[in-house]
Amino acid sequence: MGDTANLLASVFLDTISYWWVIIPTIFLGLIVGGIPGFSAANTIIILMPLTLSMDLQTGLIFMVSLYSAARMGAGIPAILVNIPGTAGAAATPLDGYPMTRQGRGQQALAITFVSSSLGGLLTTVVALATMPILARVGFYMHSVEMIVVMLFGISLIASIAAQDMLKGLIAGFFGLMIGSIGTDVVYATPRGTMGFLELYDGVPLIPALVGLFAVSEAFIIIEKKVILTDEGQAAMANPSWSATFEGVSIALKRWVHIVWTSLIGLIIGVIPGAGASIASFVAYQQSRTFSKTPELYGTGHPEGLIAPESANNGVTSGTLVPLLVLGIPGGATAAIMLVVMQFHGVSFGPSLFERQPEVGYGMFMAMMVSYLLMILTILPLSRYMSRVTTVPTIYLAPMIISFTLVGAFVPREYMFDMFLALAFGVLGYIARRTGYHVAAILIGVILGPLLETYFLRALKKSQGDMSILFSSNIGNVLWVLLVLSLVLPPILKLKRKRRDRRLATLSGDYQ
Amino acid sequence: MVIPVLAIVFTLYFFSTILNSPWTAQVSAFSLGSLLLLFCVIFVAKTVYQLRRGDGTLSFGNIVSRDDLASGRVGLFLATLGFTLLIDYLGFTLTTFLFLLVSMTILARGRGFMRITLVSALMALGGWAVFILAFDTRFPRGWFETTMKAVLANG
Repeated sequence: MGDTANLLASVFLDTISYWWVIIPTIFLGLIVGGIPGFSAANTIIILMPLTLSMDLQTGLIFMVSLYSAARMGAGIPAILVNIPGTAGAAATPLDGYPMTRQGRGQQALAITFVSSSLGGLLTTVVALATMPILARVGFYMHSVEMIVVMLFGISLIASIAAQDMLKGLIAGFFGLMIGSIGTDVVYATPRGTMGFLELYDGVPLIPALVGLFAVSEAFIIIEKKVILTDEGQAAMANPSWSATFEGVSIALKRWVHIVWTSLIGLIIGVIPGAGASIASFVAYQQSRTFSKTPELYGTGHPEGLIAPESANNGVTSGTLVPLLVLGIPGGATAAIMLVVMQFHGVSFGPSLFERQPEVGYGMFMAMMVSYLLMILTILPLSRYMSRVTTVPTIYLAPMIISFTLVGAFVPREYMFDMFLALAFGVLGYIARRTGYHVAAILIGVILGPLLETYFLRALKKSQGDMSILFSSNIGNVLWVLLVLSLVLPPILKLKRKRRDRRLATLSGDYQ
Repeated sequence: MVIPVLAIVFTLYFFSTILNSPWTAQVSAFSLGSLLLLFCVIFVAKTVYQLRRGDGTLSFGNIVSRDDLASGRVGLFLATLGFTLLIDYLGFTLTTFLFLLVSMTILARGRGFMRITLVSALMALGGWAVFILAFDTRFPRGWFETTMKAVLANG
């Protein structure tokens, strides 16, 4: 025990000495994370020659720092201009952007930075401490269990639909249908592709994200001189450091919320194939379900911002567990890390921590140091970042369109994807103008194909027998939790209403 | 009504593409699509009922109106379409510069042209420096990128 602690301390101190790599990488990560299409995975691929030329430790620290910073960076444009940098930040603008419009962008950024950093730090420590147990989670999560996890995320549509049930459900199911475009996973039969070969792999996520959020937002914001409301402009007239401290204080007061939502992210991150988008939707939905003030979600509620941000940073440390212990990458970035590590002759498995502890523990320590340095370097910048919201929309809207449309081109390098983003932009604009929630459409587009894949896998295994959905113990526990999370909130709401009414009657009698 | 109508048309088209497919291609789409059609039918019925009671009207007023022409939204959309069509031929830098210049001028109704030109040029050049020069991404290349590559290669 003492030896391990000494080893961890020495690896930690050794990692800190690489601050000269970590700090510039943090800024690079924040930039690439903030531009849709430029994920950490893409950037590591682009910079692969540079990464391979570094020694193993420097290369790993570089990749891990970039990964963590990109995750945090994706939330910045989501909060400031309603454009998530990656699908993992798609739930962030639900409450982050309303805060910005109210002139609380600086607080929102501070809340995001604190909850992301604390979520990332905490889950890194938990991942280190419980690695052998966590590594087994992937073995127990089969297609049936994954179906229920997906449904947890999709049930967020129901929350969004709460404001206008029918419109919310139409938007969500329309998204699920759009997500079904492409060939089916078993026989590769093309469906709904309109003859476009580019859609055979399904609807690419970044063009959908860019269109639904960025392009449609650009067409909406030109109605006003700046994106802020009148009250927001008044609040932004005299910026001060106190708004940042207020944001930090709001986040720290909700530390319990940070803890449990980041743990949701960690567990989902450990499951290969699941990702930050699922984690953030599930965390947002659960946070709303168990909140005492669910009606405030979507109006600029700090807890609605903390939940997705803590969760998607929890995923970051979670993905390292199956990578290091089993050699199974949990996502695209982890897969690229695997390639780089194999290039340097690293072999994976539990023995990695005995043979090359500086690599095994070093990756977690790099993540920890990155989050620590991130909070120190980025928090002071929130005051200046929030000034973006005061840029006149005549400049902002064209910049958003040009850079995000090109971002839609980047992942697959098809010109088709830019046209697709524009088509999604038109759809998003119509949806916004007629009272449909674009986030509900996006949830469907993201989670629809995943749900179908797991559903078909389960049915193939059971040869079409639907009872397989209730055949596993873990799955059944998850089903019960899902039903409870859907049924409990209205019951609690009813109880609360009755209690309030009773209290009002009692106080009336007393008077 | 636009979104429900789009959803109905798309779902029916989707169904038509899977009629003769194996069950694995149909099961999820038919179940999701049927529910979507059901929601849309309820929505349409609700809207027709409201129309009959005189509680609503059918128009495209909240999507496209004369104000959109005045506010520059239509112009911005056309400029965006032009940007998407031209970028493959003119390359990232030149198209971005032209798009920013045209769309900002439309939105500013011709005011501050010098400032807009400067901002457009700086943004386009900044994008070129970061994405093409530094990161060597495969953004669409055109005359400007080819020329600059030759210039930089020859010192």
